[in-house]
Amino acid sequence: MLLRGLTWLILFQLIGTALNVLFLPFLPSAIIGMLLLVVFLRLRGRVSASLETASNGLLRFLPLLLTPPAAGVMMYGNEVAADAAAILVSLTLSFILVVPLAGHLMQYLVARQARKEKA
Amino acid sequence: MNASLLLAWNAVLTHPLFLVGLTLGVYQLGLALYERTRMALLHPLIVSIVLLISALWLLGLEYEVYRDAVFPLTMLLAPATVALAVPLYHNLRRIRQFFWPVMITLLVAGVFVTAVTLLLAWLLGADFAMLMTLAPKSLTTPIAMMVAEQMGGVAAMAAAFVMYTAVLGALMGPWLLNVSGVTLPAARGMSLGLAAHAVGTSRALEENDEAGAFAALAMSLMGIGTALLLPLCVTLWLLL
Repeated sequence: MLLRGLTWLILFQLIGTALNVLFLPFLPSAIIGMLLLVVFLRLRGRVSASLETASNGLLRFLPLLLTPPAAGVMMYGNEVAADAAAILVSLTLSFILVVPLAGHLMQYLVARQARKEKA
Repeated sequence: MNASLLLAWNAVLTHPLFLVGLTLGVYQLGLALYERTRMALLHPLIVSIVLLISALWLLGLEYEVYRDAVFPLTMLLAPATVALAVPLYHNLRRIRQFFWPVMITLLVAGVFVTAVTLLLAWLLGADFAMLMTLAPKSLTTPIAMMVAEQMGGVAAMAAAFVMYTAVLGALMGPWLLNVSGVTLPAARGMSLGLAAHAVGTSRALEENDEAGAFAALAMSLMGIGTALLLPLCVTLWLLL
């Protein structure tokens, strides 16, 4: 079950890789694969049990899979030191500002749409 | 320590599975801590990064050595990204229903975060190459590296900024939403995916399937949109 689902995921990843090289050099292959799989599922109208199992299994471990690349932050201590203030302030502050902004804007727009549909 | 013990210690350290085992070990330690305390500061991702960096430093290992050794783990990141298609599909009806809110939020918040980052860094004296390296910090790593490279930034350093943003996302993302009173799952997901790419998506998935789906959508659209629009804007700016 898990294996069959995983095979599908890898197949779509590989199709994504081919399309990335052929037509879409500005998009990563995994994102292309994901969008294609959404289209495929939409056409098919349902998610098979094997794909559900494999995707739940993998997504549960997403933080683990992100750990090794995130540890790469250690590499740039020296290069960053020169511009440390500019870098840390701009990255941190813009993050702190955008999270509530995006959340509230979306929440407001959804509520407004709901009101309009009712009226 | 006598010679044979030292030999055994070295054999363990150089075994191909040692660093994979270490990563799994610190991750589970982080998971156990997080489940007991539920403190964002002790999210498995944060605990793992801190422990791993300390361990690598103590062992005197370079990051490149570590990265190559744990390739079997990171290799699964690509199919895991493809797997986000499943929650996206399950929430497709909701996403289509909220098409305009999604697009407007994406455009406004996406432009806002990029502009604020550039403005602050410029005010604090960053040069053009550094600005172009900072600009794609909210994107998922592969897109961020490509965008930075295209515009004269440093791709590898852009990846480090993406990861710093990821750490912020894991540490403060859901908390910022709680404090500012964002409760709608779709809005929490949009915000986390847009501001903190895959890590934000991962945090949103922890909350529920709907938040996860909107986060995956926001992450993808933010990546695609920025990859298309940012180089265009920078080119126009330089021409003026």
